[in-house]
Amino acid sequence: MRTLTIVRPTDPVSLDPNLETTAPGAWVYFNMLEGLLTLDEKMQVKPALATSYEVMSPTKVRFKLRPGVKFHDGTPFNAAAVKFTFDRALRGTPPARWASLAGSLDGAEVVDDLTVDVVTKEPYGPILRTLAMYCMGMVSPTAVQKMGADFSRAPVGTGPFKFVEWKTNTHVIIERNNDYWGDKALVDRVIFKVVPEEGARMIALQTGDADMVLFPSPAQLPALRKDSKFTVHETTGIRVVFAGLHAGLPPLDDVRVRQALLHAVDRKAILDNIMEGSAGPARGVLAPGVFGYKDMQLDRLYPFDKARAKALLGQAGWTPGPDGMMTKGGQRLSLSWLAARGRYPKDGEITEAIQAMFKEVGVEARVQVLEWAAVFQQVRANPLNHHMFTLGWVTSNADADYSLYALFHSKQVPPTGWNTSRYANARVDTLVEQARRSLNQTEREKLYAEVQDIIAKEMVWIPVYTTKEIVVTRAGVKGFQVHPVEYNLALWKTWLER
Amino acid sequence: MLTFVVRRLLLAVPVLLGVVFVVMLTIDLLPGDAVTLMLGEHATKDAVAVLREHLGLDKPFAVRYLDYVTRLARGDLGRSIQQNRPVARELADAWPATLQLTIAALLIAAGVGIVAGIVSAVWPNSVFDAIARLASLFGLSMPIFWTGLVLIVVFSLWLNWLPVGGAGSLSHLVLPAVTLALPSVAMVSRMTRSAVLDVLGEDYVRTARAKGVGEPWVLGKHALRNAFIPILTLLGLQSGQLMGGAVLTETVFAWPGLGRLMVKAIFARDYVLLQGAVLVFALAFVVINLLVDLSYGLLDPRVGRQG
Repeated sequence: MRTLTIVRPTDPVSLDPNLETTAPGAWVYFNMLEGLLTLDEKMQVKPALATSYEVMSPTKVRFKLRPGVKFHDGTPFNAAAVKFTFDRALRGTPPARWASLAGSLDGAEVVDDLTVDVVTKEPYGPILRTLAMYCMGMVSPTAVQKMGADFSRAPVGTGPFKFVEWKTNTHVIIERNNDYWGDKALVDRVIFKVVPEEGARMIALQTGDADMVLFPSPAQLPALRKDSKFTVHETTGIRVVFAGLHAGLPPLDDVRVRQALLHAVDRKAILDNIMEGSAGPARGVLAPGVFGYKDMQLDRLYPFDKARAKALLGQAGWTPGPDGMMTKGGQRLSLSWLAARGRYPKDGEITEAIQAMFKEVGVEARVQVLEWAAVFQQVRANPLNHHMFTLGWVTSNADADYSLYALFHSKQVPPTGWNTSRYANARVDTLVEQARRSLNQTEREKLYAEVQDIIAKEMVWIPVYTTKEIVVTRAGVKGFQVHPVEYNLALWKTWLER
Repeated sequence: MLTFVVRRLLLAVPVLLGVVFVVMLTIDLLPGDAVTLMLGEHATKDAVAVLREHLGLDKPFAVRYLDYVTRLARGDLGRSIQQNRPVARELADAWPATLQLTIAALLIAAGVGIVAGIVSAVWPNSVFDAIARLASLFGLSMPIFWTGLVLIVVFSLWLNWLPVGGAGSLSHLVLPAVTLALPSVAMVSRMTRSAVLDVLGEDYVRTARAKGVGEPWVLGKHALRNAFIPILTLLGLQSGQLMGGAVLTETVFAWPGLGRLMVKAIFARDYVLLQGAVLVFALAFVVINLLVDLSYGLLDPRVGRQG
């Protein structure tokens, strides 16, 4: 029997997307449950259980379903199953954990056995990418009704693998679904083992106890890349880590000061010396894989240039004092900065590096390093009394709406949304609203491009890096491709070379 | 005897109530809450409110404490907040692994520790004694996660004799049990050495030797039996230590026990699950202490049983 053994740090919370949207569960159920659509490795929407779709009205999209598909328990997959899955998730008490991610999605209506209408509460442009999310897998209605609460530990879907066994805190085993409608999986079984200790995970790979390591130790990657016994699979992820600027709090309300700060930061030095190849450059406020992404050309607009930074500060009325620090009317240019350590890769280190770079141009940063929960609480508060904050943002549904609307619309100031920068631009508000309500994807792409052009001129972030998704395997593991969305761990094309 | 046992068990009730209170308060005072952790940072305000209400987390602390205790009195440990699974089932899955690990470590600690201690006491200041002293210092000073990783590197990576981690067979048990036992082996051997040396200096041992009793008999019948009381007390205390150490050992060796369950519950701020796990530990402490007290009577008839 060909078995693929995977080690990862934690046991799932649940194998039911209704109860678990985080990686430990998603890695497993993504291989058992399929949605109507899926996102391929190039972040393009591809058909899965739906074969085609047609936009019926701004709030209704009609899907033709794949005929002849059966759930692992033999239940036929049809329009009623789609309706059942969405009703269970959106009308349950409490609603599914992913309900917040699904925006305006309201449910499904059965048209005939193999035709279903997906309905939204209001016109909702991101609907396709929402349905393609890893957590939108269809569940067998008969299995849910028969198993009750136990379903969450042994889910029944239509995917290329089916559930075998879950021993809490030890392993989850899944096996090939021989009745799969598409290309069948190439390995017989996959075992997901829990190995919490990072060092022990890497040793398991070296002794051959494991074929694949999720969350590998970053410190060992340079050595592993050179070792022919292993393959390091990596791709740019969808999280951007940035130093946020509070545009509503003087002196950062002056765009010249914000631009000066961007010029003051040597982003390449941070990538080379702190991230050491474990992250990609941030080319804007979105990651490259996200629908609507536009390269903001930050290196051209804001090259690292201390003289230009000082000149811009000069234009804003700041002059160097006797100690070299910028002052205006007897006030020093001093910024208070909220940061956690360990929430995002190297967040503490990059905060310190930028603090030192600011000092070079006469700007003082008073960094307060707090526990993540405390930082989270403070940046979610209104008003926010800090000039800066180190944060990361994942565009969960891979659609620009998820970030550009929640982060830059003037009405999305916390606690409603995540506009922690208090950015306000009437034109941006209009554009993101329009893009959210349009179902014409070409038009949306244009609208988002304009939004990013405007934001690029008025930067309220110092984007620092885009995360990388990294998986290490033995060299004999072939056919595996790491996905920009960490949850989408597709294992059915993976095979083992003797 | 029976009244003694019953009384001690009844005394455990206020102890457990106190434990429940402290655990609940600690989780309450920690920053971060279960619902935000479950729904993620991007969750809407409404979604958070709905789930909090559903889980009863919106109620005041005192109400939640009383709710929990009332249910506990009926033998209901509740459902875990994060997984919505009966806590009793989670515990049933995990406790045998921890018990197995703790007992194995205790046997190693007692076996190796007592033998090494006796040898050191019979030949004090010998080469063996010096080595044992040095080894004890090492065993006591090295943190479990470090010793554990070193053992993995040597026995799994280099020699390829034993698996890296996980559970299933006896070979899986060796490394974690040895790692967990090391500090206790050190404590027990030191304690045995001084206890036996103490007894060997007593008048009745001199008398025994004077009347011509053979040395093995002196050691076995007179010295050890009396030296055993402090050793047993220490072993009782050590079994508590071992359960605490299991949290780290289980993490290093991916051992699916209560320690890991507890860590998981703390990270998820899942107070219901944490309560269950801590209660099992607390109960184990109470029972072990009781057993130790009872065994004093067996070893030393002078120890009264009036409690």
